[in-house]
Amino acid sequence: MSPKSQFSGMKDLPKTHLLAPGSAMCAGCGGLEAVREIYDVLGGKTVFVNAAGCMTLMSVYPYTPFRGSWLYTAMASAPAGAQGIRDALDILKSHDRIGEDEDLDVVVLTGDGSAYGMGLSSTSGAIDRDLDFLYVIYDNEGYGNTGQQTSAATPHGARTATATSGIGVAGRKKDLFSILAAHEPAYVATVIGAEPLDLARKVERAKTMSGPRFLIALSPCPTGWGFDPQLSVEIGKLAVKSGAWPLKEYVDGRLVHNRVPKPLVPVEEYLKRQGRFRHLFEPRKDEFTLMDIQAQIDAYWAGVMDHDGA
Amino acid sequence: MYRIRFHGRGGQGMKTASRILGAAFFLEGFEVQDAPRYGAERRGAPIFAFVRADRSPILERGVIPNPDLVMVADDTLVGMPQAGVLQGLNAHAVLAIHSTTPAGEWRQRLNTDARIVILPPLFDLLDAAQRVRVSAVIAGAAACLTGRVGRDTLSQAVRTELADLTNTVIKDNINKALQAYDEMNEFKGIAEPQPRTDTPLPTGWITLGLDPATLAAPAIHAAANSVQVRTGLWRTLRPVFDYSHCNRCNWVCGSFCPDGVVSADENGWPRIDYDHCKGCMVCVAQCPKHAIQGMPEGWAAQQTMPTPPSPDRKEAAP
Repeated sequence: MSPKSQFSGMKDLPKTHLLAPGSAMCAGCGGLEAVREIYDVLGGKTVFVNAAGCMTLMSVYPYTPFRGSWLYTAMASAPAGAQGIRDALDILKSHDRIGEDEDLDVVVLTGDGSAYGMGLSSTSGAIDRDLDFLYVIYDNEGYGNTGQQTSAATPHGARTATATSGIGVAGRKKDLFSILAAHEPAYVATVIGAEPLDLARKVERAKTMSGPRFLIALSPCPTGWGFDPQLSVEIGKLAVKSGAWPLKEYVDGRLVHNRVPKPLVPVEEYLKRQGRFRHLFEPRKDEFTLMDIQAQIDAYWAGVMDHDGA
Repeated sequence: MYRIRFHGRGGQGMKTASRILGAAFFLEGFEVQDAPRYGAERRGAPIFAFVRADRSPILERGVIPNPDLVMVADDTLVGMPQAGVLQGLNAHAVLAIHSTTPAGEWRQRLNTDARIVILPPLFDLLDAAQRVRVSAVIAGAAACLTGRVGRDTLSQAVRTELADLTNTVIKDNINKALQAYDEMNEFKGIAEPQPRTDTPLPTGWITLGLDPATLAAPAIHAAANSVQVRTGLWRTLRPVFDYSHCNRCNWVCGSFCPDGVVSADENGWPRIDYDHCKGCMVCVAQCPKHAIQGMPEGWAAQQTMPTPPSPDRKEAAP
């Protein structure tokens, strides 16, 4: 169905890395891991538009890890910034001031605070205008840069700097994938740095398309989620195996699940390694909340089976 | 006025230590300032926090250039110029280092007039579960060195500042803080305040001139110049390859390294760029052959790092 990928196995993944080291992301940052993997495939002919968030610290004047330009916007307006750059590039092209080979792919880079919350309106508007851009979301399920306050992406039962007691956050993680897909853009996919092959194939696919394209990367966050940095990849893999983070695509108007974890690893295995869920296990196990979280995941995958007939 | 600086690494709780000591001084009736230096530093990076305490309102602001007491939670920072541990130390100042190395050896190494006090580690520093208590230990030791904070006040300050945590954890931290306090008993009150030098600024408008845009915001056209930032300084553990066990599946460690500092040489052997490796140990956790080991940085820095086998051995390898 889809054209053959140049990435048939892990061995084919890029061996040299385009994103320069020396950025101020935390040791073990799952967001940096995903963004670096995405950039390796995307290439240097890109211009990044970055809303306020952790990744603001990628480019701290006068240093940058990128090969090209970087624009910093307010938290809610990165897609608007992308529109301006895309328009400017198109005007330069139409006046023959730059050639087709000098054109750049405009990439928006924001965290979940911006993507799921403050910036959702400007994102919706950009899709309405069929803006040709790629939007990369590093979703660490909270306002990580300021100390992990609750965001619209924080999952049920997690404790944050603004939900310090009881079960933590009572609400549910917003289903941004479905909200974006409902706009019928060119492409929406979920990825995670801990599954680099799946990620590389999706970036490769998004790169060949035009129009609004989205990559939502779940980003295990040692600092905000409370785990030893070396567990970053292990926790990322567990997010997929437990079904908490489904790897899926919206492409050609269809929803495809790239991996249906069978059997699902109990979500406890994913949760118990993170400090933000420790209160569900200590001093005594909160069976009710754990069952509730598991039931949500089971219900999701039951729906997938019905839908895909898998 | 007491001027106290705390040096540690991001994640070791120096901000918490400064808050505990600040709260303790406050409970003893002092006017207090406590603050971390906010910047782009993250977990593992050298950071510092500071406390000022005096009997009357404090007008001084900003970082402390002339400390009476410097607390160092991580002794690998002492010799690192970027961490600025030794900044402003003189014969008046006390330098308290959380270390297994004796004071005499530090005195020889550092060539400083400051009085050096050693706080022996009260637990295994490499055990992540134990590391959370470093802030309480450092605050407890500092409290004793000033001689102005009682044991009960210290306990109360720990309880106030760690109120979000469970009772067991709070009690544990109080015990560690008191243990560190008692450990420092022979040096009680050794850190003494210096007279105030701050005078109120005259009120009224101060006009700050504007620089031309070319000076204030010059364009930088260099690509990927963040390599000049040596994030390798953040490391407390260093991943070291055992090439006799490495099967050269460099796409595993190379793909998972968040910072992209593992690359493969022409023969496929993975190599780590130690100038930038932050020491997250993801490669250690993911290596299927367990051919990478995390070594304490202080030790590893003095060793010769293993190099990949010669091409001859590469042919012999399967």
